[in-house]
Amino acid sequence: MYKKAKLIDTVRLPPERLGEETIAVLKDLLRDKLEGRIDKMLGSIIAVTDVLDIGEGRILAGDGAIYYDVTFNAITFKPELQEILEGKVVEIVEFGAFVGLGPLDGLLHVSQIADDYISYDEKNARLVGKETGRAIAEGDMLRARIVAVSLNEREPRESKIGLTMRQAALGKVEWLAEARDKAKKEEEEQNARTSV
Amino acid sequence: MKEVVKKLTRYERARIVGARALQISMGAPTLIESNTTDPIDMALEELKKGVIPITIKRRGTPR
Repeated sequence: MYKKAKLIDTVRLPPERLGEETIAVLKDLLRDKLEGRIDKMLGSIIAVTDVLDIGEGRILAGDGAIYYDVTFNAITFKPELQEILEGKVVEIVEFGAFVGLGPLDGLLHVSQIADDYISYDEKNARLVGKETGRAIAEGDMLRARIVAVSLNEREPRESKIGLTMRQAALGKVEWLAEARDKAKKEEEEQNARTSV
Repeated sequence: MKEVVKKLTRYERARIVGARALQISMGAPTLIESNTTDPIDMALEELKKGVIPITIKRRGTPR
């Protein structure tokens, strides 16, 4: 889920940047420090939007820099368990598909794609269902549920998000549209029969 | 409470000049025109002119 969060953090303002406009510099420094970082509680910090308050600066002994406790607004993205998301397939591999969920990628394992035997088509970089013939390729839009989250604060790239599509109303968006059309048609038929 | 501008103690003066001199030596822009190249002299001159934007927060029991 994307969130707008009001946060407070301490920022070191190095002396060589003292001549510049304080709030602008602090925003710059905050961006450098936080954007792209992953926090266990907040998730991935996407952007520092605006600085609200900078409080009083402190000069610590032995360092010419000034430390500010800055209050600011930020946009964050935290993958939450059971959350349903839509994303594009960014890569197909032998064991599943990587789905872009915004700032992070999730892994959709082959066993979690559908109630079908899924085989890997290496030549076309696709995953194909044996019985249904349905396939997933790079660029496909999927709707999936998050079933596992493991965020790594030190190595954001090592964070892992597990996805599933083996539930009602999940799958490739085209499959969902198909299912909706089918349900609608059946309902119409039912209505036609009862009205006769 | 009435706000009284007290004279800095020599310790406070040392702390401010020290911090300011370190800032200047680390590349902070100077606040006055001066001939000296020594950051400490520069900081002392700035203090004498009263242009250093640093205040002291006195904590603990007052004298």
